[in-house]
Amino acid sequence: MSVIALNGLAVQLGGRTVLDGLTGELHGKAIGLLGPNGAGKSTLINTLLGFHPASGGTAEVFGLDTQRERARIRQHIGYMPENDSFIGNMTGVRFVRYMAELAGLPAGEALERAHEALFYVGLGEVRYRKISTYSLGMKQLIKLAQALAHGPRLLILDEPTNGLDPSARQRMIQTLQAIRKEGSIHLLISSHLLRDIDQTCDQVLILKAGRIAALCDIEEERRSQRNFIELEAFGPTDEFCNALRVEGCECACFADGRIKLIVPDRIQSRDIYMAASHAGMQIRRMHQRRDSLEDIFMRAMEAQPAGGELVHLQA
Amino acid sequence: MSIFRHEYRAYGGPLTPLWARLSVVVRYALAEAWSSRITTGLFTFAMLPVIVALVGIYLANNPLARMVIMRGSSIFEINAQFFARVLATQCWLALVVAAWVAPRLVCFEIADNALPILLSHPISRFGYVLGKFLALFAFLSMVTWIPCLMLFAYQGYSSPKPWTADNLQIAGGMLLGAILWSSLVSLLGLALSSWVKWRVVATGIIFAAVFVPAGVGGIITAVLRTRWGFLLNVPVMMTQVFQRLLGAPETMREDFRLPDTPIAVMLLLVCGVCVLMLNVRIRAREVVRG
Repeated sequence: MSVIALNGLAVQLGGRTVLDGLTGELHGKAIGLLGPNGAGKSTLINTLLGFHPASGGTAEVFGLDTQRERARIRQHIGYMPENDSFIGNMTGVRFVRYMAELAGLPAGEALERAHEALFYVGLGEVRYRKISTYSLGMKQLIKLAQALAHGPRLLILDEPTNGLDPSARQRMIQTLQAIRKEGSIHLLISSHLLRDIDQTCDQVLILKAGRIAALCDIEEERRSQRNFIELEAFGPTDEFCNALRVEGCECACFADGRIKLIVPDRIQSRDIYMAASHAGMQIRRMHQRRDSLEDIFMRAMEAQPAGGELVHLQA
Repeated sequence: MSIFRHEYRAYGGPLTPLWARLSVVVRYALAEAWSSRITTGLFTFAMLPVIVALVGIYLANNPLARMVIMRGSSIFEINAQFFARVLATQCWLALVVAAWVAPRLVCFEIADNALPILLSHPISRFGYVLGKFLALFAFLSMVTWIPCLMLFAYQGYSSPKPWTADNLQIAGGMLLGAILWSSLVSLLGLALSSWVKWRVVATGIIFAAVFVPAGVGGIITAVLRTRWGFLLNVPVMMTQVFQRLLGAPETMREDFRLPDTPIAVMLLLVCGVCVLMLNVRIRAREVVRG
């Protein structure tokens, strides 16, 4: 069963179409939700939580319809919103316990799990302090703790590293990696930071202007990655490129002797130097890199997704 | 998860039924209400008239005590009018209590934007509001109909002649009147508190919502020489309601008395507006139009 299934999902808010015919199935253990501002990431999350009604199509979480079976879906979801969201007058442990009880845990179990969740995210020492006295990083962590306390099947995180300093961000990423590794929870992480998604997710859904720009398996993409080589050269670049094309490389020449190559795995750096030597061309700089999530994202942004259709990226 | 091992552990234990989540909201709301010393002080203060009434009932029914304490002088009669006064006093004290407690139940959560997290759990907006309403209603019940009915029961017990069976209308009237008032004040308090982030301001607005229209209604009545201005005057309206429910003689001049139907329509209108305000405000996400 897919974690999230979208079938022509459309959402209109304030007379404006925010999500336009999203179709796709998300199976990943950790799903990244990417897109520029206003792409519809938060709206999609809010629709999955049943906060916004669908104006067309359907969305399902674990096979449950987001409109008809909201309560059952929320039972299985832990949600960490993007903005500050807590009850500042409560202590950390009381707040997490309250949320766990609302999720259906008996009072005693909720208290036990609240303590455990707070220790797990690293707030054990400050759990009896009022939340209003917490730092920004602690407030992010208390949101994570309340989302985890009731043992959800799907953890939805909206910009989890927002406002965190580098070390706190790293701790958050490590926590998410540990949760993913534990295996009982699926993650849906919305973020602007490609690096966060790259480090935590195995599947990525890229939204653009309310439509799906790309849905791809990061692990598969990594496996099928090809070598990209950027050259700065002096001399007869056309001859050099022709020679490499014969060998099966993709080659693009730009002004000022800049060349971009996509080379098959069998071609080594030595072969490129040999081809340059035969063509009488000097290589002044060579930069080799692998395809990154950024490349996937940028290609998705350049592509023009058609309404209601899923664009599969060609690597 | 484990405190000592710091590892995540999935939860596989029992879950409470969905309807029980409502009781969680009620329980935490009541705990929040009682967490302030001012709440305890107000509650104690609201019980003082009940103690005075209790002493009054004792003296009225005990000639020996009356002779010792009051040297035989006469005391008021324990009848519908007496209970109407007690009920009115308790209801106005309930307004004071509600003006303090209602903002505590809602303002913290609104100010800290807790609704997205609260409503992402398996509880509906209706369930959330109902939970808060029930908590406030329960609190106000402790100030209104519960002590009033206890006084009624005490009067029935201490009266030398059969009294209870002949005066059941008083008990029913007190119960109905107090429920009406507690419901109205609870809705009004929650609705107004949900629109204000600062508790003190919310308290002021709750009082203003009752007394400013009353003043305007008084002006309308005086200038236009019509009784309909009293429809904006909640104190006058509720006094008439209490007196009619308990079967006590009405103190208002006959030409200024309001018929039952307009009063009922007005109270329903106020409740409707409150529900509308709560419906607009209690949302996980606000949608900006345009």
